[in-house]
Amino acid sequence: MSPTTPRSSRFIARSLPLWLLLPPLVFIVFVQVYPGFYTFYLSLNNVNAGARKFVGGQNFERVFGSAAFRASLVHTVVFLTGFVTLTLVSGFIVALVLNRKMKLSPLYITLIFIPWVLSDVIVGYVWKLYVDPGTGLLTEFFKLPLFGLGGSPLLIASPPPQIAPDVPFPPAPAMLYLIAAASWKALPFTTLLLLAALQTVPREVIESARIDGATSWNTFRFILLPLILPTILVALFNLTLSGMNGVGMVFSLTGGGPGTATEVLSYLLYNIGFSRLDFGQAAGLSVFIFAINLVLIGVSLRVSRARTELT
Amino acid sequence: MATHISSNTPSGHAASLSARQYAARKSAVTIAANISAIIVCFIMVFPAFSTLVLSFKQQADVVRTPPLLFPCDTPSERFNPSACRFFTEGYQRILDLGPNPSALFGVEARGRIINTYLPNTILYASAGSLLVTLLAGMAGYVFSRYPFRLKRLLLVSILAITGIPLLTNLLALYQLVVDFRKATGPIFDQLAASGQLTKDVARGLKDWQDRIVLIAIYVGFYLPLSIWIVKGFFDAIPRELEEAALIDGATPLEALLRVIAPLAAPGLIAAFLLTFVNIWNEFIANYLIVGTSKQALRGVIVGVYDLTGNNLINYQVLAAACVLVMLPVVLVFLFARRTFFQAMIEGAVKG
Repeated sequence: MSPTTPRSSRFIARSLPLWLLLPPLVFIVFVQVYPGFYTFYLSLNNVNAGARKFVGGQNFERVFGSAAFRASLVHTVVFLTGFVTLTLVSGFIVALVLNRKMKLSPLYITLIFIPWVLSDVIVGYVWKLYVDPGTGLLTEFFKLPLFGLGGSPLLIASPPPQIAPDVPFPPAPAMLYLIAAASWKALPFTTLLLLAALQTVPREVIESARIDGATSWNTFRFILLPLILPTILVALFNLTLSGMNGVGMVFSLTGGGPGTATEVLSYLLYNIGFSRLDFGQAAGLSVFIFAINLVLIGVSLRVSRARTELT
Repeated sequence: MATHISSNTPSGHAASLSARQYAARKSAVTIAANISAIIVCFIMVFPAFSTLVLSFKQQADVVRTPPLLFPCDTPSERFNPSACRFFTEGYQRILDLGPNPSALFGVEARGRIINTYLPNTILYASAGSLLVTLLAGMAGYVFSRYPFRLKRLLLVSILAITGIPLLTNLLALYQLVVDFRKATGPIFDQLAASGQLTKDVARGLKDWQDRIVLIAIYVGFYLPLSIWIVKGFFDAIPRELEEAALIDGATPLEALLRVIAPLAAPGLIAAFLLTFVNIWNEFIANYLIVGTSKQALRGVIVGVYDLTGNNLINYQVLAAACVLVMLPVVLVFLFARRTFFQAMIEGAVKG
C-alpha cells in the first residue's frame, strides 16, 4: 500500500475484511439468527394450514399446561442427570487412566474414540441390538447369576427378534439404555477434553506436592481438581446442551416409548410440531428450549471468560 | 525442601530400597493403568463390533436364545472356528445387487440406500463441508488478523451460536422452506406449462432447489464452530510472514492466498473433515426438511431410519445397513484422527 497505489485498489484493500466476513455472516444470520426470531413470532401465532393468527401467549399456556409437557420435563431432567453424571464421572476416570504414560496410549485413544464419529441414529440402533431383551448381548450379560437379575422386569424377554415400530421396552430400562447409549457416544469427547486439561497440569506441581508428603487423595482433591475445574465445567455445559438437544438417539433406540417413558423435550417438540402439525404450540416449546439453551450458553461463556482471565 | 531432596538420593541402604520399592510400585500402577485402558477400550468397541458380527449372521443364529456372539458352536463344542456360519444375507438385502451390463463392473446396486441415499449424502456432505471450509477460512482470517469495532462481540456471538441446536430452529426453517417452495413452485410450473421446460426438468429443478436449501442450512449450522477452529489455526501463524509478503509487494489478497492459506491448510482440513462427518451423520434436518416429503432426496441416515419405519426388519439386515453407513466415517476418522483431535480441542477448549 505504497502512496502510488491507485485509489480503487486501496479501497478494495481496506474493505477486504468486510467482503470476506459478509458471506459467512449471511449464512449464519439466515440459518441461525433469523429463524430464532421467526420461531418467537410463530409462537405468538396460531399456525393452521399456512394461515397465521395472532393469539398472544395462548400457545405457551397450552404447552406449559399440558401433562405431556410436565411429563417430558421430568424425563428430560432424569435423562440429563443420569447422562451428565455418568459421562462426566466415567470420562474423568478414563482421562486419569490415559494421562499416565503408556506405550499403547495412541491405540487406546483411537479405539475409545470410535463411537464419537458415529451418527446418533446409528448409535441408537447399535444399542437397540445390544440390549434387545431376547437376543441382546448386554442383556444376556446381565442375566448372569452374578447380578441376580434373572427374572427381573429389567430384562423381560418379550419382543420377537425383529424391529417393529411399536415394540416397546419396559419403561425403566428404556431410560437406562438411552442414558447408557448417549454416554457411550459422548464419553470420547468428554475424555479428550479432560485429558487435554490434565496434560496442561505441570508434572512438577504434582511431584512436589507428593514430595512434600501429600497423599494421593489430597493431591487429587486440592491440586489436580481445582486446576481442571474450569474444563470440567465446560464439559458439564457441553454435555447438558448436547443431551438436551440430541434427538436422533430417541428416534432410533426407543421412539419415545414405551408409551411416553422416554419422551424428552426435544422429542416432544418433534411430536407436537411434525406429527401433530401444531406449529404454534411447537414454536412455544421451541422458545422454551431455546431459552434454556441461551441461559446455559451464557453461563458457560461466563465460566470460560473467568478461566481465560485466570490464565 | 532440601532435606527431602537429600533423602531421595540413593546414598544409604534404606534409601535405595525405597527407590526400588517406588519403581516397583510405579510399574504396578502402569500395569493396572494398561489393564483399565484395555477394559475401557473393550466397553467402547464391543457394541459396534457385535453389530458387525451380527450383520454377518443368518436368521437362525440371530433369533437364537440365549444369543451367541460368534455363530461358531457345534452340538458338542461351544466354539469351533471351522464351524462358523457367516453369511452375507443382510448385505445382499441392503445392496440388492443385480446384473446390469451398462453399469460399472456389470453389476448394479438396486437397494435405495446405495443407489439413491448414499449419493445424496455424499453430495450434501462434500458440498456442505467445502462451502463451510471456504467461508470459515474467510471469516477466520478476518477475525485473526484485523482489528475492528464490535469484533469481540461478534466473536462471542458466533461462539454462543455454536451452542444453539438445529432442532429449535428447524420449525421456523421448515416454515420458511415451505413458503419458499410456494413462491418458486408456480414459476417452475409456468415454465413447464409454456413448454420452455419439460415436466421432468421442472421437477428436477424443484428437487435441486430443495437440495441447495438443505446444503445451505447445513452450512449455516456448522459454520460457527468451523470459524472458531480455523481462527485458532490462523492465530498460530506468525504475522511477520504476511508482513514480509506485503513489503515484497504482494497485495493483501495475494498474501492471504499464497502465504497464509498453505500454512493454514491443516486447520482448513480439520474444519472440512469435522463438517463432513457431521453432515454425514445428520438426521433431523434431512428428515424434516426433505426426507418426509421427497424420498429421492433422503440421505443414508434417514434411509436407515426408514428401514424400521413401516415394516418388520430382520436384525442382520438392520445391522448390515448400520455397518455400511458407519464404515466410511470410521475409516475417515482412523486415517485422520490427529486432525480430528486437534479440531476438537481447538473448537471446544479454546472456545
